[in-house]
Amino acid sequence: MSVNDMEVRTGVFICNCGQSMKNIDFDALAKKAASVPGVISVTLSSDLCLDEGMKRMISLIRDGSVNRVVIAACSPDSKEHIFRHVLETAGLNGNLLSVANIREQCAWAHKGDVTGKAEELVRMAADRARLLRPVERRELPVNPDVLVVGGGFSALSTALGLSAVGLRTTVLEREAIPGTGTGDKENLQGFDVGSVIAAAERDANIDILTSARIVAVEGVLGDYTVTISKDGAEISRRCGAIVLATGFRTQLAPGSDMPIDDQVASGARVVSQEQLVCMLNNSVLDARPRTVGFVFDLADDSSRYTTLATLNNALAVRARWGSEVYVICRDVKVDSEGAERMYQSARECGVVFLKCDSALKIAVDNGRIAVEARDVFLGEDIVVSCDLLVAEELPFAADGAEVLGSLSGVRMDSRGFYQDENVHLYPVGSDRKGVFCVGGCRGNPDIVRVLADVSSVVASICGLLSPGHIEADIEKVKVDPQKCVACLTCIRVCPHSAIQLMRVEDGKDAAVISDLACDACGVCAAICPAKAIEFEGYRDDEIAAQLEAIGEACMGG
Amino acid sequence: MVSDKVRDAMQHPRIRLLTGAVLRGLSGGPGDFRVEIVREPRYVDAERCIACGLCSEVCPTDPKAIYLPKPDAVPLVHVLDDRFCLRARGKNCELCQEVCPTEAIEFNRKRQEEDLNVGAIVVATGFEVFDAREKGSLGYGRYSNVLTGLDLEHMFRRKGELRLPGNDKEPESIAFIQCVGSRDEGHVYCSHVCCKYAMKLAALIRHQSLDTKVTIFYIDLQTAGKGFARFFDDYRGDIRFVRGVPVEILQTASGELEVKFEDISQGKVCRDTFDLVVLSVGISPRTDSWDLARILGIDMADDGFFDTATSVGSNDTGVGGIFLAGTCQGPKDIADSVAHGIGAASRVMELLGMPVQADG
Repeated sequence: MSVNDMEVRTGVFICNCGQSMKNIDFDALAKKAASVPGVISVTLSSDLCLDEGMKRMISLIRDGSVNRVVIAACSPDSKEHIFRHVLETAGLNGNLLSVANIREQCAWAHKGDVTGKAEELVRMAADRARLLRPVERRELPVNPDVLVVGGGFSALSTALGLSAVGLRTTVLEREAIPGTGTGDKENLQGFDVGSVIAAAERDANIDILTSARIVAVEGVLGDYTVTISKDGAEISRRCGAIVLATGFRTQLAPGSDMPIDDQVASGARVVSQEQLVCMLNNSVLDARPRTVGFVFDLADDSSRYTTLATLNNALAVRARWGSEVYVICRDVKVDSEGAERMYQSARECGVVFLKCDSALKIAVDNGRIAVEARDVFLGEDIVVSCDLLVAEELPFAADGAEVLGSLSGVRMDSRGFYQDENVHLYPVGSDRKGVFCVGGCRGNPDIVRVLADVSSVVASICGLLSPGHIEADIEKVKVDPQKCVACLTCIRVCPHSAIQLMRVEDGKDAAVISDLACDACGVCAAICPAKAIEFEGYRDDEIAAQLEAIGEACMGG
Repeated sequence: MVSDKVRDAMQHPRIRLLTGAVLRGLSGGPGDFRVEIVREPRYVDAERCIACGLCSEVCPTDPKAIYLPKPDAVPLVHVLDDRFCLRARGKNCELCQEVCPTEAIEFNRKRQEEDLNVGAIVVATGFEVFDAREKGSLGYGRYSNVLTGLDLEHMFRRKGELRLPGNDKEPESIAFIQCVGSRDEGHVYCSHVCCKYAMKLAALIRHQSLDTKVTIFYIDLQTAGKGFARFFDDYRGDIRFVRGVPVEILQTASGELEVKFEDISQGKVCRDTFDLVVLSVGISPRTDSWDLARILGIDMADDGFFDTATSVGSNDTGVGGIFLAGTCQGPKDIADSVAHGIGAASRVMELLGMPVQADG
């Protein structure tokens, strides 16, 4: 016989917290609690959260005399987990607990006698307890394989990290050769992408699919089915988690460029940071530019990437070419590891930094590029005349990132990068459980942060999938297929892509919530127009019972 | 937020949290370290304290010597403060011990020594807030209306609003001075967090009163980071930004603070007065890092943070099996610290393999 079918026998345990709540008449409270329907036992205690205080609760549960528990004590925030654990070790489902906070929200919050309010809170908790149902927790099997989208530095580093903890990955590269899209962005921050690609190609746990892209993503955490288009054919892969590591691209900021005709005519050039690195690596370059100008942080407030690239490259230009170097920027973004030291070294070796708050004028003047800027320290317009101008670049998510985001259920942020689940607390996660984002595609283009992202996604996935199963609440939020009218409202609002329309037993289509993907946020239960979704612990009848209890307590005086 | 993390750690079946513990010695190697620790006595037993507050009620000192450190403390237990306790002054008061309903208070506890056997060590000792007194010319500690960003944050948390410490009035003009204890001779690094918290506090101040004038003195504004450029855009027009950080603050006879700075737009030294000056103090390495580095055999970098094995910040120290997490390795904001911390876990997993499920 399940707990549902049994007669409700609620045990109320009231704690006076070492007799510290002097504004509650505990004898009166206990008497009132005993009169609530379903309550068969009331225990008054002064140390309920300590081993001595719990003894009676445990014995009442063990001998079967109590099958619902109401605790009237301190805030559930501090002790609920302990009581829940006690219930479970004594053999009662942890969801059959209802807590009335008579300390922080009652005795401590008011002056004077608050016995009436305490009675009301206990009545509410006990009326709710009567309706509580158990929620089973079970281990659900998961597929430990991982799909990584992208073939650049962050993608392959993630695959290598996962391989190191024993997980197999499939890496999807859009181009024919891994790392094509990455170009020299990581190389120019001092990282050898080539060696990472070579290591990944040798690794037996890593399967690299080139010229491949995602067409569809179905399923939930632990059991995704991904349809991939490769060489004109569609193939399907199953995996437990998906990592988006599609990197970023840059584009010259509007107005920072100069027409190619002018460049050819003058012999002076406007280049990107990547083009500059190619020039620096080209040892047979015949004419070394005498003066090199850099521009950054005028069009983009989040210019960590261009700041670091500029500092790196300005130092390299000084060391290899000995050119005069002028850097024009608004602010130097030094909030990355080692950046302040690089900034200092650059100034020490003769790089001149000009701070400028307004737009630049770029023109050809006598075969050279004249950059006119108002230097804020001098308060004057300065003209920097250079042979080579490294223009400001703006970072963007890779082409197709938005399509990939919508296929995999990840939102975009205001700048078009992938949105983290929580920008502070869980930066590499996304709203959809089991889908992660690392590096440039979530707006973190600098190498130190990319590496931190990679390690943290490896640890997160390892923790989730390595044991081969995940413990989850079973049907904590569930759809009644008889009431469901398949209107798709819940599927549309679910922020975690946890709901799918499925054919249920009697040939009817109904929404089905995945226990693994559900985050128990309750949005679907609140919005369902057919009231077909129930959220255990917050069911309509449970909430209504509490509201009615307030009314009754008021009527009763 | 830290409270939430501490609570999660305390409730986790596979995490044992030792408070009041100090590392004294280390032997062994990766996979098999022997760690000697010493635990200083806690007069209030965290396992037995129910935070009822009776002890605090009877404590005869002012301020109270036994109290709840903050309303949302984790664990939610009272602490005995040696600075105020009569017993620390040789008196024989036992009022709190007598009244405690759960016998959680015990004065005669001794320090305990304990050896732990572990496979890997993660150092996550954090940072110290730069002591603004070191910059004597800014007047912190001398002038009551010179605060640090942290002081202001505490004031907002405790009182919910900003009042001048001197006279409890609402300030009309406030200056923030950035890079106090960052980006100078002794600190060749940016602290990563100060521009963000100064802007956040400025936004709170503007929220309290739109008439309050806020000025931020800065070297370079660090507006990178998820969503920050947009936040900055929203407040850019409401705040006066002045390039260059002042080096001297003096208090006038009327109690206002006179800030001396270089107005670069006019190219001359100017003076401006403010009701309140907030110093955006930076992240400094912990001064006791040296002791830990010596015991663990790990290196310190030039700036006083723990050094990493490679030049770009990773979690690895030069000693196998010992990893770094968070700001003990260098300044980081919250998101970077979280990512770095999970990264350390990943390095440990690579070294030791996945834990065997104890209760699975």
